[in-house]
Amino acid sequence: MIGRRGHQVGLRPDTTLIVIACVACLTSTAADAQIRAREPGRIEVAGGGGWFAGGALGSSDANLRANSATSSPYRLFTTDTQFGAAPVLEARVSVVLSRRFAVEGRLGFNRPELRTTISSDAEQGNAIAAVEKMNQYMVDAGVVVMLGRPGVGNFAPFVTAGGGYLRQVHETQTLIDDGHSYHVGGGIKRRLFTRDRRFVKSAGVRGDVRVYWLSGGMAFDTDTHTRVAATGAFFVGF
Amino acid sequence: MTARPTIRRIVVVAVLAAVLAPRSAAAYLNLSVDLRGQTVRLRWGSSPIRWFASNRGAPGVLAADFQAAAARAFATWQAVPSASLSTQFVGFTSASPLFEDGISTLGFENRPELDRVLGATDFTLDTVTGEIVESDIFLNSAFTWSVSAGGSATAFDVQSVATHEIGHFLGLGHSALGETELRPDGGRRVLASGAVMFPISFGRGNTADRELQPDDIAGISDLYPSSTFRAQTGVLHGHVLRGGRPVFGAHVIAFNPATGQSIAGFVLGDDGSFQIAGLTPGPHVIRVEPLDDADVESFFDGSVDANFSVTFYDRLFVAPKGGAGEQVDITVRPK
Repeated sequence: MIGRRGHQVGLRPDTTLIVIACVACLTSTAADAQIRAREPGRIEVAGGGGWFAGGALGSSDANLRANSATSSPYRLFTTDTQFGAAPVLEARVSVVLSRRFAVEGRLGFNRPELRTTISSDAEQGNAIAAVEKMNQYMVDAGVVVMLGRPGVGNFAPFVTAGGGYLRQVHETQTLIDDGHSYHVGGGIKRRLFTRDRRFVKSAGVRGDVRVYWLSGGMAFDTDTHTRVAATGAFFVGF
Repeated sequence: MTARPTIRRIVVVAVLAAVLAPRSAAAYLNLSVDLRGQTVRLRWGSSPIRWFASNRGAPGVLAADFQAAAARAFATWQAVPSASLSTQFVGFTSASPLFEDGISTLGFENRPELDRVLGATDFTLDTVTGEIVESDIFLNSAFTWSVSAGGSATAFDVQSVATHEIGHFLGLGHSALGETELRPDGGRRVLASGAVMFPISFGRGNTADRELQPDDIAGISDLYPSSTFRAQTGVLHGHVLRGGRPVFGAHVIAFNPATGQSIAGFVLGDDGSFQIAGLTPGPHVIRVEPLDDADVESFFDGSVDANFSVTFYDRLFVAPKGGAGEQVDITVRPK
């Protein structure tokens, strides 16, 4: 019993060591591969989609001059305009600069609805919402900073910031509004596999949340307008 | 503010009987005349447009003060950046603004029988080209007038009314961008106005019509466009229908929520068509209303259809930067 016990005692550390060694080895291999996937010059291409939040453009009254110098303007009717939330499609290309830094270019496309709600007509006009769809394109570039080595489950967190060009084409294709966008955000990446000496060296998924500040474009003022976007994407490394 | 409604009418002499029957309009209402089967918009063909001031004043207003107020009113129209026109004061004259004499004269005339007319403008046309060759303006000295900088609570403002009449002098018709209410005596009191060219004047003491509104600016720019006006602004065109039939005389307002500006026009086509030029590029709310805020004849002849309710178009109209946008066809709501 003692011998068996001793044998068992003698075996258990070995097995444990082997298991630990294997796990350590696997982890090390994955982490190393992750790190190799972030070697300078490597390129990642990503495609995906998500949600681009809407926002208010503001209220505006159709005013006439009242027949008195002292009274308020005569309000013919009131409008309130909103940019609707809409699904967004996006494509990204990243170039790894170092194990920590990458630069990234992104093209986003969505079709938000511009909705103007009309109310309080002085002559009981029908209260309705007048709408149009816009094609919104965003081309931006930014810096991606990886936050340390991949952690639990190979999830690698990152933060990003950048800016770009905003192009909004009205539904009738007769007018284009353009402007600039600036963003900060962050997310996580998870590599599903990595391999050396192949054309496709890695693949994975990523999730992003960004805050955009839009300047110009379709707006009733010269202020910047804040929008939030949440997207997911599948990426391939070369 | 006024004791009685005061309507500024276009007094049209001889050849211009047809002027009050415009059959086409872009932004606003342009006066036009049918010549040899073609509709020709009234406008001056040569520049600068020369004018004289009558050497007769009115109680409380010297001829020189009248001339200075009229000159300021001309300058207001001339200063529109998207319009290209030039005017020139030539001198004082003893000629009456009521007579066709080859010179364009502005001055006072005592016309107590026109008890609702503050002022009037008439034209002499070249019947071959349709160009204006003479236009005269009189302000009715049966009313009390003021030229003071801040206006006078007991008098009508010369510069404001002159600005309106000079709009006619240059070829513009009336705007319907305003709201009125009926008075017990059968006239109308203006509640609000969105254009200097609204046919019913503000009351005594009000000087607001010294300043042009977007509708006035669109109208004069459409008539005398600068080199960039057409390329920088958009045109709305379409039809107003009820039960598939055209609604003649319907008043169409294009409101730009981004700028807060309203520019309006009328359905003048037999097929219910309308056109409004001079819109700032961008989305517009389109509102159609019956022409019921002034005497119809102050706008044009014709059987105006006002038997419908105010109706908003359910799409935003996007005015392009240059050229015409998508055609807009609006079906109005029955009353």
